Amino acid sequence: MKKIQYFISALLLVAVAAMSLSSCSEDKLGPTIFPDVDETLDPSSYTYQLDKFLEDNYLKKYNLTFLYKMPDVSTNMNYNLVPATYENSIDLAVLCKYLWFDVYDKVGGEDFLKSYGPRIILLIGSPAYNPTSGTEIVGLAEGGIKVSLFKVNAMRINDFNMMNEYYFKTMHHEFAHILHQTKTYPNEFNTISIGHYDSNNWQDRSEGQVASLGFVTTYASSEFREDFAETIANYIVKTDEQWNYILDLASRGWASGDEDDVTSQFFCYYYYPNNDVTQDLVYVSEWNVFTEVDEDGTVHKYWRNNKDSEGNRIVVYDVEDKDGIDGVEAILQKVQIARTWLKESWGIDLDQLREEVQYRQSHYDINELRKQVTDIH
Amino acid sequence: MKKFLNISLLSLVVLSSLTLGSCKNEIDEIFDEDAVARLDKAKAEFTEILTSNGGKWQMEYYANANEPGYVYLMTFRTDGSVTISGKNEWIGYVEGESLKVPTFGSQTSLWEVITDNGPVLSFNSFNKYFHLFADPEDIPSLDEEATDETGYGHEGDYEFDLMRYSNDTLYISGKKYGIDMIMTRVDANVDDHVYMDEVVAMADSFFNAKIPQVYINLPNDTRWVVKNGASSILKMFREGADEISTAETHNVIITHDGLSFMNPITLDGYTIQNFIRQADGSLLCRDDNTTTITADILSNVFMTQTFNWKADTVQSGGEFANFIRSMKTELNDYGKRKLSSVQMYYDNSLSRYAISFGCLYQKRTFYANYYFTAEAVGDNQIKFHYTGELSDAAVIYGEKCPSMNSIVQLLNSSTFTLTTSSLLAPVDMKMTDSGNSATYITWRL
Repeated sequence: MKKIQYFISALLLVAVAAMSLSSCSEDKLGPTIFPDVDETLDPSSYTYQLDKFLEDNYLKKYNLTFLYKMPDVSTNMNYNLVPATYENSIDLAVLCKYLWFDVYDKVGGEDFLKSYGPRIILLIGSPAYNPTSGTEIVGLAEGGIKVSLFKVNAMRINDFNMMNEYYFKTMHHEFAHILHQTKTYPNEFNTISIGHYDSNNWQDRSEGQVASLGFVTTYASSEFREDFAETIANYIVKTDEQWNYILDLASRGWASGDEDDVTSQFFCYYYYPNNDVTQDLVYVSEWNVFTEVDEDGTVHKYWRNNKDSEGNRIVVYDVEDKDGIDGVEAILQKVQIARTWLKESWGIDLDQLREEVQYRQSHYDINELRKQVTDIH
Repeated sequence: MKKFLNISLLSLVVLSSLTLGSCKNEIDEIFDEDAVARLDKAKAEFTEILTSNGGKWQMEYYANANEPGYVYLMTFRTDGSVTISGKNEWIGYVEGESLKVPTFGSQTSLWEVITDNGPVLSFNSFNKYFHLFADPEDIPSLDEEATDETGYGHEGDYEFDLMRYSNDTLYISGKKYGIDMIMTRVDANVDDHVYMDEVVAMADSFFNAKIPQVYINLPNDTRWVVKNGASSILKMFREGADEISTAETHNVIITHDGLSFMNPITLDGYTIQNFIRQADGSLLCRDDNTTTITADILSNVFMTQTFNWKADTVQSGGEFANFIRSMKTELNDYGKRKLSSVQMYYDNSLSRYAISFGCLYQKRTFYANYYFTAEAVGDNQIKFHYTGELSDAAVIYGEKCPSMNSIVQLLNSSTFTLTTSSLLAPVDMKMTDSGNSATYITWRL
C-alpha cells in the first residue's frame, strides 16, 4: 500500500515538473540589444593621431587594443591608480612597437605576435603600491592576453637606466609571462633554486645576496614564475656590462651581521680593525673598498681612507661564499632553460632577440619615433 | 495515509509556485527601451549637456571628508579634450611652490562619458592639476613626522557617476569613494585665471585669522561658534557648550559665490549646507534663507580685549578729521614732531581702553595715552567714558596739542555707531558719531 502511495505522489510530481519545464522551452533569444557602434576614427578628435597609429600598428596588425585612456574599472580597484598622461602614452606606444613588437616580428616572424601576443595593453600612470610591504607593481600579465604597464607618468625618456628598469624590462618580463601562461616552461627550471625563494621578504633582500643564490634580481627570488620572467627580461635588456655585473655579484660570497635577519644588509668584504686578525671582523660596503694590482698581477684590496696604528692600509678580505650554491652557474643554467624553451616551444632565438633589443634600445631616437604619430594627418 | 497526502499536496503547491515563477523569465516592461539603448542614450545626452553652451563648468571637488573642497573650472570640448583649471596649495606644490601658496594651474587632458552601471564621467588621461588628488603618492607635508600616505594619497576620485541634471547643475558621485559633488554651468566667456583668482579672494574675505571665531546664527536665535574658518575645516560647537567635548568638524568648499558644507548638517534641528555671500559680507543660508554666518555683534568685536585697532586717519571725516589735521600741525609746531599713529586697545594692566597717540620725535615715539571705559549700547553702538587717567606723555603732549584733548572729549561726549565692510570678517570698523554722521573715523585690525 505504501508503495502505491509513493507511486501516485511521484507521478504527480513528475507531471507538474514536466509541465513547468515545457513552458520554459518557449524562450527564444531576441535580436541583440547592443547597438551597432561606428568604430571609424574621427579626424577632428583630439587624440586622432595616436588613435590612428594604434589602430594601424596594433589593432589591425595584431588585433590588440592599446588602452591609454584608463577606465578605472579595467584595473584592480583595491589600488589607487591614476591614468597615464597623453604625451607619455604616445612615447610608450611607439617604444613598445620599436622595442617589443618589431623585434619579435623580426626574430620570430610576423605571425608570431599575431598568434601569441597580448590582446590588450593597458597603460597606467602610477605604480600600484602595496603599502604594507613597501613594494610597487610596475607590470602585470593576466590570462595570457592582457599586459598592464604601470608608472607611465614617471617616465624620464632620456634616462636610459630608468627606462630600461621600469619599462623596457617590464615589457619583456610581462610578455614572458604571457608566453608561459600559454605554453608552460620545463619544470626543471623550478628545481634550480628551490628552497631559496621568499615571497614575503624578497623586497628586503640585497641584489648581491640573491645573485649569489642564483637570481638575477631580488624580485626573481620571490617565486618560480617571476624568476623565469625576470631571467628572460634581464638577459634581454641588460647591457653586457650590466649583465656581467650581475654575474660578478653572483660569484662572490655574501654575509651579514645577522644571517637570520633577512632584512639585514649583506656584504661581500670585511676587514679586521687595525689589521689585527684576533679582533672581530667588520663588514664593509663595496664602495668603501679600493683595489690595487701588483706588477705580478696580484690583486690587493684595502679599506678606503683608513690606516692602522702603524700607518699601514687596512687590508680588506673577500667574504667566503658559504651558501653552497654556484650563483653564476645557477643563473646561466636558468638562461639556458629559457633559451631552449623559447627555441623549441616558440621558435624564438633568445640571443638573437637580445642582440636586436640591445641594438635598438641604445640607438633609438624618440623624436623620430614620435613622428610616426605626429606626422599622421 | 492522510498525513502523507497532505505532505504530497503541500509539496505540489510549493513546487508549482516555484516552477511557474521560474518560467516567468522577463519582468514586466518598465522602460520603453532596453538597458543598453538607454545607457547609450544617457551617454549621448550627458555628453551633449557637458559640451553645450561653451562647455564650461565649475566642479566643487572633494577628495575626501577630511580636507577642504576645491573649485575647478572645466571646459569640455567635443573633440574629447578638457581644460581643467584650479587654484589651490596642492597645485602650488606641483609647481614647486611652498605648500601654503594657492597657485593657479591649467592643463588640457582627456575626458569621456563612459558607461558602466550608468553613465560615468571619466577624466581618463592624467591632468597634473586635477589627478593630484587621486595620485597614490605620499601627500607632501610640512611636518617631517607626518604619516606616509604612499599607496593612498588623498584618495580622490577622477571618475564620477552622473546622477542627474537639473537647472544647469550636474549631480555627480565619485565612483570609487562615493562622495557626492555638484557641477554648475559657467559662462563660456569667463576667464579661468580671473575666475579662480576671484574664488581665492572670496576665501580670503570670508575667514580672517585676525577674527578667531565667528558664529552660525540659527533661526531660533541660538548661535554655534565656528573656529578654524581659514582652514575650511570648521570646528563648531553650540555657544556656551563645552568646546572640547562637543565640538564637531565639517569640511567646506568656498566657491565663486559663497560657501557650502560637503554634506548637509543639522544644528538644533535646522539642516543647512549652502551659503551665499551677501553685500554686507555675511553668509546667508540658501537652504532656509534665514540662517547666517557672521562675526559677533560689532560692539563686542570692537571691545575684544585682545584687539589693537589702528586708525586709518585718511578715512576719517568731520570733527575727527579736523582734530587730527590740527594735531599734526600742533605737533609740527612743537619741535617738528610727527603723529605716527593713533590706536585704540585694551590695557590689561589698567583694565581700561586706551586711545593712544604716537608722537615721533627724533626717531623716538612717545605715546600719549588717555584711558576710558567702554560700553555697548546696542549691537552696533558703543559709548566711551573718559576716566581722567592719562599717561605721562599725554600730560606733556596734551598741553602742546589741544586737539588731543578735543578728540578725547569727542569720544567722551557721544555715542558711536559701528559699521564694517564685512560682517563675517570685520577687520575694518567705521565709527560714526551717532549725532553727527559727518564725523567718523575708521579703525583697522
